[in-house]
Amino acid sequence: MKLLLVEDDAETAAFVLRGFRERGYALDHVKNGRDGLYLATESIYDVLIVDRMLPVMDGLSMVKALRSANIATPVLFLTTMSGIDDRVEGLDAGGDDYLVKPYAFSELAARVNALARRPPASKEITVLRVGDLEMNLLKRTVTRDGEVIDLQPREFQLLEYLMRRADQLVTRTMLLEGVWDFHFDPRTNIVETHISRLRSKINQGRDKDLIHTVRGSGYCLRAPAATS
Amino acid sequence: MRLPRLLRTTSFRLAAFFALIFGASTVIVGGFVYINVKAALERQERTRIQSDALALKGEFNSGGMRDLMDAIKEREQNKLAGGLDYSLFSANGKRLFGRLPVPKLREGWRHMNGPPDGDEPPGQLEHLLVYSIRLSPDVWLSVGDDIGLLRRLDNTFLQVFVVGLILVMTLAVSGGVAVSAGFLRRIDAITRTAEAIIEGNIGKRVVRDGSGDDLDRLAASLNRMLDRIGALMDALRNVSTDVAHDLRTPLGHLRQQLEDARNRARSTGEYAEAVDNAIAKIDSILETFAAILRIAQIESGSRKAGFQRINLGEIVAGLVQSYSPTAEEQNREITTSIAPDININGDRELIVQLTVNLLDNALRHTPPGTPISIGLFDVAGVATLEIADRGGGVPEAERERILERFYRRETSRTMPGNGLGLNLVSAVAGLHGATLQVLDNMPGLKFRIAFFHLDG
Repeated sequence: MKLLLVEDDAETAAFVLRGFRERGYALDHVKNGRDGLYLATESIYDVLIVDRMLPVMDGLSMVKALRSANIATPVLFLTTMSGIDDRVEGLDAGGDDYLVKPYAFSELAARVNALARRPPASKEITVLRVGDLEMNLLKRTVTRDGEVIDLQPREFQLLEYLMRRADQLVTRTMLLEGVWDFHFDPRTNIVETHISRLRSKINQGRDKDLIHTVRGSGYCLRAPAATS
Repeated sequence: MRLPRLLRTTSFRLAAFFALIFGASTVIVGGFVYINVKAALERQERTRIQSDALALKGEFNSGGMRDLMDAIKEREQNKLAGGLDYSLFSANGKRLFGRLPVPKLREGWRHMNGPPDGDEPPGQLEHLLVYSIRLSPDVWLSVGDDIGLLRRLDNTFLQVFVVGLILVMTLAVSGGVAVSAGFLRRIDAITRTAEAIIEGNIGKRVVRDGSGDDLDRLAASLNRMLDRIGALMDALRNVSTDVAHDLRTPLGHLRQQLEDARNRARSTGEYAEAVDNAIAKIDSILETFAAILRIAQIESGSRKAGFQRINLGEIVAGLVQSYSPTAEEQNREITTSIAPDININGDRELIVQLTVNLLDNALRHTPPGTPISIGLFDVAGVATLEIADRGGGVPEAERERILERFYRRETSRTMPGNGLGLNLVSAVAGLHGATLQVLDNMPGLKFRIAFFHLDG
């Protein structure tokens, strides 16, 4: 996977570069929006990681210019601005995701992965499958091994989110944003309680757990075969 | 050149301006009246003289010189016609009769001076208005009257007028001075208060005279403004102190932990644990910062621009659903009573957070098993959201205080949290123009938020 980091803060850049390189990603790094725009137009990247505040050309303008040149490479904005409007602004400019500094590296990695592996938007998908778990998006039904599992609407949404990102790490924050549309951290662990419910419903009477907890980071839905 | 302060006051300038306008209008009206009255009097005088002259011409035409003389004599004796003077002249300019001065023989009007007849001021000649008419080729008649009185009317008029004008101006100016002096005294009081506040005496207020007039109302508004600024300054001071204080404690703990790890940790595992603990502590500090920034942003009011019609019932019902697994885990019952179609104008994300914070609050500060109830109903056009628990409640004295920034009750000091959750609720309610009440649920605590209902 090849990433482009557009970040002027040396310390942050070093932290991000080291993190991704240790995980075996190829990374290019530039320090301003103009160079970022040039590289993003010239080469092919899987994901662009763009700081909002950049010298010469800010991140927002850079991504706007990129989108108007019909380059659809997924963009993740990094920002120190935690304002509520800033997120909307970033997404409106053509960003695909938004992460407020400071963040845990695992959060950044999970989001970059999710963006890189995001399947092309297609309405054709009506059935999601992970191992023996099957979700029919039209009939809104879930079966495991042919057996119907009864889910609450929110549990269904949660499972759909996980199944669309099967074999990927999904963080608690991603779930809060993607399933609940919460852009803040509630005190009550609603993610944990929902996951444990969902887990008990889909695991009922079976010894193979599909939802794996990644300690301190999040969750991963994985078919048993993939673990061996 | 600097004018004396009194003359520079607005009210004095206004008084002077009005005195000027009033004086000017007096001059204009007076002049108009004078010209018209004088013209009317002179017109009347001319009519009298001319008609008498024509009447005498009639006598002459019908009865000749004899009848004319009879008529003149009769008039002079009776003074019936108002004491006019009559004179006859021959065609070569010789006076045949009467005392009027010899005119150039020409028909029409003329002003003449005659010898004094006693009713004019000493040393002045008599002013005469004379009408001459030709009776026959040889005889001219002149009829005249003393119009000195009319002339002297001018002087009287002018005198009365000037005295009146002086009186008016004096009254206006002295009134202006009096009003300005009073005005100045009160303005000075306000200025002195302002100076005192600038000097640092923040508690100083403008003294009111209680009259309820504009200056008194201005003083009241200024005092209210100063109270508000004072309150805001206090709040700001408290915030900075609270922020510093609230962050010092966890930072102090963090430092202790790290120092401790440095001294005692022997294995990588022990170091890793210390680092994990440190990260968790820093995360909670960052969370506090994020909450402070968020509250500040909400309080700035900028989110108002994005207000939309939102269905409160839908939001609340969705959140209750999200919280029900947690409630069940804690063996609690969440009862809901949500009226349909309650829409408000607001910010969805913030309303979600408000509700979540209140639910979090109820879940965190009451023991497991304590029931929670949520109600949404329309009370006479007011969308009322109530979130209540059956826990230990909060004593009345503390109920308002729990909304304050960083306020944490003695009983919850040891629990994780930053004391900002309810402050954010209060900020969101404020942004939406909603009233937030903290009530006794008998037993327990009840939050009531009253929004303006869009369709109510």
